Amino acid sequence: MDFTTAIKRAARSAREEARLYLVAISSLAVAFLCLGAALITIANLSAIAERWGQSVRLSIYLTDGADAADVTQMRALLDALPEVTSTQLVSSADARQQFLDGNEVGHDLAALPAEVFPSSVEVTLSPAAAENPAIISQIAERVARLRGVEQVETYRTWMDRLRMLVAGGRFGAGVLALLVGVCVLAIVGNTIRLSIANRKTEIEVLKLCGATDSFVRRPFLVEGAAQGLVGAAFAVSLLLALFLFASGEIAPAFAAFTGVRPVFLTVPMMALVVVGAVVVGSAGSALALRRYLAER
Amino acid sequence: MFDRDRDRDRSRDRDRDRDRDRDREPDRDATDRVHTLGARDKKKPFSFFRAGRGEASAANKPILVFEGVYKYFKRDQPTLRDIDLEIERGEFVFVTGPSGAGKSTLLKLVYRAETVDEGRILFCGRDISRLTATSIPFLRRNLGVVFQDFKVVPHWTVFENVAVPLEIMKMPARLVRSRVGEVLERVGLSGRGDERTATLSGGEQQRVSVARAIVGEPALVLADEPTGNLDPQLAVDILTLFEEIHQAGTTVVFATHDRSLLETRPHRLLIIDDSRIIEARSGLTQWAEEQSGISALPARGAA
Ligand SMILES: Nc1ncnc2c1ncn2[C@@H]1O[C@H](COP(=O)(O)OP(=O)(O)O)[C@@H](O)[C@H]1O
Ligand SMILES: [Mg+2]
Repeated sequence: MDFTTAIKRAARSAREEARLYLVAISSLAVAFLCLGAALITIANLSAIAERWGQSVRLSIYLTDGADAADVTQMRALLDALPEVTSTQLVSSADARQQFLDGNEVGHDLAALPAEVFPSSVEVTLSPAAAENPAIISQIAERVARLRGVEQVETYRTWMDRLRMLVAGGRFGAGVLALLVGVCVLAIVGNTIRLSIANRKTEIEVLKLCGATDSFVRRPFLVEGAAQGLVGAAFAVSLLLALFLFASGEIAPAFAAFTGVRPVFLTVPMMALVVVGAVVVGSAGSALALRRYLAER
Repeated sequence: MFDRDRDRDRSRDRDRDRDRDRDREPDRDATDRVHTLGARDKKKPFSFFRAGRGEASAANKPILVFEGVYKYFKRDQPTLRDIDLEIERGEFVFVTGPSGAGKSTLLKLVYRAETVDEGRILFCGRDISRLTATSIPFLRRNLGVVFQDFKVVPHWTVFENVAVPLEIMKMPARLVRSRVGEVLERVGLSGRGDERTATLSGGEQQRVSVARAIVGEPALVLADEPTGNLDPQLAVDILTLFEEIHQAGTTVVFATHDRSLLETRPHRLLIIDDSRIIEARSGLTQWAEEQSGISALPARGAA
């Protein structure tokens, strides 16, 4: 109905102001690229945190020349605990091999003797135990007092750090989203203000011919929304293309280090960014117009 | 000279008289209905105009009435003072007076670019002097306005400029095309709809603006010095165009300070002098006397 007229008028103005709008859309795209990149980083950090949170393990590093009987007894003790799913002995040689497999290391490192890598007992805990850090610390403390044990790594501090990193990242992304929102308001608002200045006669003519304020306003809202839409959609598409291109290259290394494949923004997240851009874009336009129309 | 307070008192007295008169009028609610105009007109954009034309009582009434209208830009010096004025349907009226006399202001009060400070203005029998902001667009759809500076959008085509009022009224595109085609023919621009308006000469651009003013078939066309930017021959051409529009049944109010136009045409003449309206029905002679200091003619309808 009325909307088609508004879209037609908006399209005509976009053609007339092509250069102005191109500048605006590029600026918007840059802002959304930053936001998108931040959101992708957070998405991957979260994925890593989740993956690590699920597979809680303990590494019990053994002293050099630990008594095999002590180790067997310790494993039996651990296997008997309800929180423990499995235990596995990793000898110095195994550890060295794992290290060499996981890293494309140069000749110098490959020459390292097996003794450099301590042997260990790798304990996998049940998912139920993962929920309860107190039990993990309790087990770790008890094991640490046993003979032949050099050190117990619970990875708790690592998990805590990662979780903090994710939480901090989420907060940062929230702040960034807010900043980007303000940027979009300013960019669209300024573009529409310039456009209004170029279209003073047009607006005056419309009003003299009996156009209501909403008739005058509607094409501008469409233009603001379209700028947001195109800017955000372009940024998301570019990021997706980069992601698909790069993930082929880095996915194996990433997976080896983190245990998860790199992830892109979820579809709802992409939709949220684009819809947000549309809403904020038309809001920027409405703000610019409110000032102008109020003066008539 | 009246000071402002005495003027106000006088106008209050008249208000009381008018109220008494109105009580005797049988169709008094016709004017009171105006208050609901905004809401009603949202549904029926034409009701203003239709009511004005359709009702038998409204059809006999003057199309435009000023009753004790005052307009102040400076506190103690009204630009328009106690204007009483009736313009009948189908009239052609010149409004003149020196630059700064208040011709533009008088017209602005009608298309509501300015608001009266006292008194009221009836258009098609309805008080338009206190319309709410939301109703003003619907008033303007029933008026055509032409300006000295054309007010056309230069980078639009002729067609796009003329079609504006019809698009605002949500007329279907096919109808818009035929209506714009007809009206371009009436103003002598047939077949030139696709040209960029900026490429047209001044006289032609003014014809575009006239076409836009009449395309919605308004009952009243206001022209504010439409010939001011044109050379004399083009000015006469544009005046003739307005006369043709008038002949087709439209009421025209034509403001100009160009004596050469006024002298050649026999239309009713209103002169704004010292912020009052002076009727000079028989053309320019009385204005000339007025200018030379002979006693002022009383404004029509004034006490
Ligand atoms: N918006 C305004 N603010 C203050 N003064 C105004 C305004 N509009 C008109 N005037 C004053 O009112 C007087 C009449 O102006 P105008 O109606 O434009 O005259 P005309 O059209 O006859 O040349 C002038 O003295 C002008 O300065
Ligand atoms: Mg003027």
